Amino acid sequence: MNSWLHTSSNAFIVAFFLYCFSFIGYAVAVAGRRWSNRDPEAHTKRWGRIAFALAILGWIAHLTFFFTRWKGGGHIPTSNMYEFMTFLGMAIMFAFIVVNLIYKNPLVGAFATPLVVIIIAYASVFPSEVQPLIPALNSIWLKVHVTTAATGEAFFAVGFAAALVQLLRVVDFSRTDKAGKRQQRWVEGVLFFIIIVVGFLVSVFGFRAGGYHAEFRQEQFRIDQQGNEVSTVAKVEYGLPPIVKPYNSETLSMDSFLGVDKPLFEAPSWMNGVNAGRKLNTVIWSIISGLILYGLIRLVLRKPLAAKIHPYLDGIDPEDLDEISYRAIAIGFPVFTLGALIFAMIWAQIAWSRFWGWDPKEVWALITWLFYSAYLHLRLSRGWQGTRSAWLAVIGFIVVLFTLIGVNLVIAGLHSYAGV
Amino acid sequence: MFQNTKCECGHQNPTGTVLCESCGKPLVEDLPLDSPLEMRYDGAARRSQKANPDLIDRVWNFFSSVKIAVYLIVITLIGAAIGTIYPQENTFINLDDPAQYYKDTYGTWGQIYQTLGFSRTYESWWFVGLLVMIGTSLVICSLDRVLPLYKALSKQQVRKHLTFINRQQTVYSGTLEQDPEAWTAAFEQQLKRKRYRVWRDGTALLAEKNRFSRWGPYINHIGLIVFLLAVLGRGVPAWHMDQYVSIDEGQTKPIPNTNYYVKNEKFTVEFYKDEELPEGLKGTNRAKLYETKAVLYACTQYCDDPVKDPVLTEVEKHDIHVNSPLSYKGLKLYQYNYEERIRLISVRPMLVDSQTGQSYGPFDLPMNNPPLTYKAGPYTLKLSDVFPDFGMDEQNRPMTKSRDPNNPAFVFIVTGPGLPEDGEIYIYFPLPTAEDKTLQQQINASFQKSGNNSGRFSFQVGKMENVKFSQYTTYLNVRVDRAMPYIWVGAAISMIGLVMGFYWQHRRIWLRIDDGKLSLGAHTNKNTYGIRAEVAAALGKTGIQVDPKALDNRRNTR
Ligand code: HEM
Repeated sequence: MNSWLHTSSNAFIVAFFLYCFSFIGYAVAVAGRRWSNRDPEAHTKRWGRIAFALAILGWIAHLTFFFTRWKGGGHIPTSNMYEFMTFLGMAIMFAFIVVNLIYKNPLVGAFATPLVVIIIAYASVFPSEVQPLIPALNSIWLKVHVTTAATGEAFFAVGFAAALVQLLRVVDFSRTDKAGKRQQRWVEGVLFFIIIVVGFLVSVFGFRAGGYHAEFRQEQFRIDQQGNEVSTVAKVEYGLPPIVKPYNSETLSMDSFLGVDKPLFEAPSWMNGVNAGRKLNTVIWSIISGLILYGLIRLVLRKPLAAKIHPYLDGIDPEDLDEISYRAIAIGFPVFTLGALIFAMIWAQIAWSRFWGWDPKEVWALITWLFYSAYLHLRLSRGWQGTRSAWLAVIGFIVVLFTLIGVNLVIAGLHSYAGV
Repeated sequence: MFQNTKCECGHQNPTGTVLCESCGKPLVEDLPLDSPLEMRYDGAARRSQKANPDLIDRVWNFFSSVKIAVYLIVITLIGAAIGTIYPQENTFINLDDPAQYYKDTYGTWGQIYQTLGFSRTYESWWFVGLLVMIGTSLVICSLDRVLPLYKALSKQQVRKHLTFINRQQTVYSGTLEQDPEAWTAAFEQQLKRKRYRVWRDGTALLAEKNRFSRWGPYINHIGLIVFLLAVLGRGVPAWHMDQYVSIDEGQTKPIPNTNYYVKNEKFTVEFYKDEELPEGLKGTNRAKLYETKAVLYACTQYCDDPVKDPVLTEVEKHDIHVNSPLSYKGLKLYQYNYEERIRLISVRPMLVDSQTGQSYGPFDLPMNNPPLTYKAGPYTLKLSDVFPDFGMDEQNRPMTKSRDPNNPAFVFIVTGPGLPEDGEIYIYFPLPTAEDKTLQQQINASFQKSGNNSGRFSFQVGKMENVKFSQYTTYLNVRVDRAMPYIWVGAAISMIGLVMGFYWQHRRIWLRIDDGKLSLGAHTNKNTYGIRAEVAAALGKTGIQVDPKALDNRRNTR
């Protein structure tokens, strides 16, 4: 590793911790409002400022990571999953800074910073070595495309964070009727989903720290260009104990875990993404550890997570949050259109000779775009502002995440980065 | 429904008007009296709101509804998503029996998917139909709104009805301690500093900025229409060509249906060396470069003449890489794929006389279009038969399996000193495989048995420099897409519209002073936060301190 890359990985760690501290600062800013012996406004303002300063410092460290890695690696670091996800984290931070400069609302920070922390942690799951470019990725348009698309998505992420706060703010925990209960359950569901992602991170890094390893030999068939069936044999390595093994595979080696030394199931054949079996296994583990984590939290809090957060958001105008969420999406939409569709088409035209090929990843970018244009059109009419539109902003970001991660998980396509 | 369209200010409005075109007083009361007004299109009447719609009106109304547009968008979105569940048929180059394939590969669900036609989602009539409907809707809804909006915005009244002012999203009212004329003038200055255009009518004032941003959505829609039309235009056969050519190194091939020829001078594939790769990738074949050195020729003469060779002139030369196609007058050649496959280009064999040990030649034998006669020393070789891809048929007769030079064999009639008048027949396999050499011997032996030759001659290439071969076959994708410029123009227009509509906001402020009471209302199509801040700042600079939040009318009513 050359010295640039060395600096780079140090800067990454610095950025990570600064983001964590920034999150703590925001949490104090919001939670401290209800502490006695202080003026809530002044308290929030003070801690909000500290947290924002930390966020900016973190972002500068992140930029340092990015540019030193660029210099040391010889190409812009956006060409594999690790690089892309860290870039996305950086873009979300950028979007957050922009929105915060306009609206100065610490609540958004209290939700945007943990989102960035999670995304960066997620990035670290992937191999972080600099990989030399393959010819298809060696194009200026690809770089322009990836960076602008990620920036657009980052604004959607900030819109999501604001919408989530808005939902937590408006959900009424005193209601016991059916509709009220349903609303409570859904909001809790979103938080649960986030905890599952955290559970994923905990299990991956936990087993990695413990040095867990299993290996399989998988035989796969595919049809080549001449229409012949070719079989390939590949070794698939697992970092998590295999609950499911790859489709059509045999175990080469496997550490036993809690006395279990055989995989319990085999992945279904229709999951035909790259390394689908391993990914499915990871998803199962995430859900298991997410459930454990969530159970523990419930045990400590003795009430739903959303019900715990809700009182802290008192006295905040939901309209402000609605406006912030909408504005973030409105800023992001043209950027996303330019990056994820237009630049993508330009690049596809140069690299693959067609500007559009209905590749799953392309289709999902289009779906994201259509979804947000439906959101924008719905907001033109009265009934679709406020809570309903907040839900759309939340769902929209889930669509974004599926496009970025889910498509690689279940669907094979030209864009698949190698993954977990 | 009977509607009184004459406003109390005396203005006669068209049916469907929501807010009086002149003074802004609400004509239709559909909402609580104190809630903010519906300011869409400034309350102007639209064609789609005609009282007694006939059939055409109904179609118009259908397509001009934003609700319908959202439905169309959502259905398209869901359809597109379903299309990604399994790979589409067109991702396979050779798929003879799709039904069988989906059944075998994806089971019952795959079979159902294929039967329902989802494996061809994006070419299906319903999907294209949805896109066409969205396009229609785009045209109609834009026309339906942009004209009334344009009219409403180009003839605005300065003095508005008090109801209109007090029911904006952003409002302020209070008693004015200062001289009304002087204060209004000062306020005007403040707004001008914020780049508002200001009109005054006594102590009534209208300030406006960024009106152009209201046209953003429509410009965006126009761009989308251009884009969709261009996409449909790609269906015109003359506008579109998409084919593949495979070319060995050194080979020149015609591009079907054009009068162009393309030559592959050399194909290169490079992989990263181990020391260039990080730990995890060492020992893998990670491609670094694919390159076809290509030359494009135009045929200028004898293009379709079966007898004469075409006359080619070079028109373009380019090293085609994955991200760098050869481009000539709308024709584009892309690196698509390659295959490692050794193929002879030409050999220079010697004719060896096994009786005397003497050898003659060498003579040039190209695999493509070999000439009919050759000279080797005193001997003449006449080519009597060529099998580019040698094989045996059921009756054990020599035949060629394909026209590709996979395993060429040449049959010569040798004449010259000491040979019979009509010569001796020899077969020659230039590929240096043991299998071929055995075959060559066997066939020549059988010729000898039947008296066609004396077994005296054989062929020998000797040194490698006498062999020219191609190691790789490159696959190029040849494209013509005359709709592309329109696609980019549409996309660009669309982007301009989006930027106009989202990064600027139309803002208007109305105020009037009646007997020392100031009433101010402000409206924006987006970013109410921004306009509140601007109004509060301007008020503050003129001696009225308010918190921007206190101006929010929506909050006051909830
Ligand atoms: C995929 C297709 C479409 C896209 C991407 C699109 C995009 C947009 C965007 C970005 C806006 C601005 C929204 C805002 O200012 O908040 C807008 C506004 C609008 N769109 Fe679309 N649109 C599409 C299709 C349609 C269709 C089919 C209709 C037909 C009814 C329609 C009707 C409208 C209307 C009425 C407006 C409001 C214009 C105004 O504010 O003055 N759109 N559209």
